[in-house]
Amino acid sequence: MHRQNNKIVVFHCRNLRLFQDGERKEFSMAWPGLSLVSIPCSGKIEAHFLLKTLASGAQGVLVLACAEQACQYLEGSMRSRKRVEYARHWLEKLGIAPDRIEFVRLWPVSQQALEAHLEEFVLKLESLGALGTPEKV
Amino acid sequence: MIVAELKEIDEIRKMVDRYSSILVVGCDSCVAECAVGGARETQLLASALKLSYLKDRDEKVITEACLDRQCVDDFIDGIAEQVPEHDVILSLGCGAGVQALARVYTDKPIIPALNTLFIGETVMRGVWTENCLGCGQCKLGYFGAVCPVARCSKKLMNGPCGGSRGGRCEIDPETPCGWDLIIKRLEAIGELDRLSEYVPPVNWSTSHSGGPRRVIREDQKP
Ligand code: SF4
Ligand code: SF4
Repeated sequence: MHRQNNKIVVFHCRNLRLFQDGERKEFSMAWPGLSLVSIPCSGKIEAHFLLKTLASGAQGVLVLACAEQACQYLEGSMRSRKRVEYARHWLEKLGIAPDRIEFVRLWPVSQQALEAHLEEFVLKLESLGALGTPEKV
Repeated sequence: MIVAELKEIDEIRKMVDRYSSILVVGCDSCVAECAVGGARETQLLASALKLSYLKDRDEKVITEACLDRQCVDDFIDGIAEQVPEHDVILSLGCGAGVQALARVYTDKPIIPALNTLFIGETVMRGVWTENCLGCGQCKLGYFGAVCPVARCSKKLMNGPCGGSRGGRCEIDPETPCGWDLIIKRLEAIGELDRLSEYVPPVNWSTSHSGGPRRVIREDQKP
């Protein structure tokens, strides 16, 4: 298991209902460096949040959205996907690996699926090295 | 409103690399509406620069601020305390905003982050089009509120050229023919007769061709 102290921020749509009472804290404690940020809809995500999160010290950012048809606000999930693409395009322009920002539609929507995704993401970030050191892309 | 676009990051960096502290200043008016220089985009550019310098291990102080209008002194004062702490201001205002900052902060270099493009409108989210050239003698009343100066590629004032095809301009098929729009619009409002009046050639001396322009209103002065 790869749970090293990698600063990762996960923005997740509240409507995914990933965590019941108290579970969020428990989940975070098992992942040192992880910040879980619940947002009213993934469509609230904008490119500047994502770049700002990396510029503030995070090594990677995940945006967890609902399936496009399941979005309570109809267009939110589609918008967040486009915004993540835009932020990734910015990273490319800056010569930084775009994979530091990922758009994720979990299936099934469960903590186990998130854990599995985080495992992969941490491996990827480790292979890239810390932001601010030459990236081993 | 004024429509602009962000310069390439390489060009911006070339201009600001020499400074060690940068104040990135947005403008929350026109350039916010065209999603290029408002509060969001200011945060985006400041963060992008931080990442870019982090990658190069170049430690710089990068601060962000956003003014409601960058071309009015009362608002420009809003960054007065931050300006002395920085070597340079990187402005996300239009050309007028950049120059207003330079007039107020006389000892500070001001670098534009945008290319200012035109006076235009938001046609839909993500699409802005030019529709006024600021010619100084608005004749929209003759043309059903569709401007032949800005929207006809040849700036024709008395009817279309012979190249208009299917409502498209012969210069660029992506562009609607300005005269097609004028005629359809006058037809729709029942004022095609407006076109029987001869419109003299544009007097460019009232446009920017006549040199720098200004408006003075004694009633508005302090
Ligand atoms: S006629 Fe002149 S002022 Fe009026 S919209 Fe056209 S360019 Fe602008
Ligand atoms: S095709 Fe229409 S818009 Fe283009 S130059 Fe001719 S009249 Fe003007």
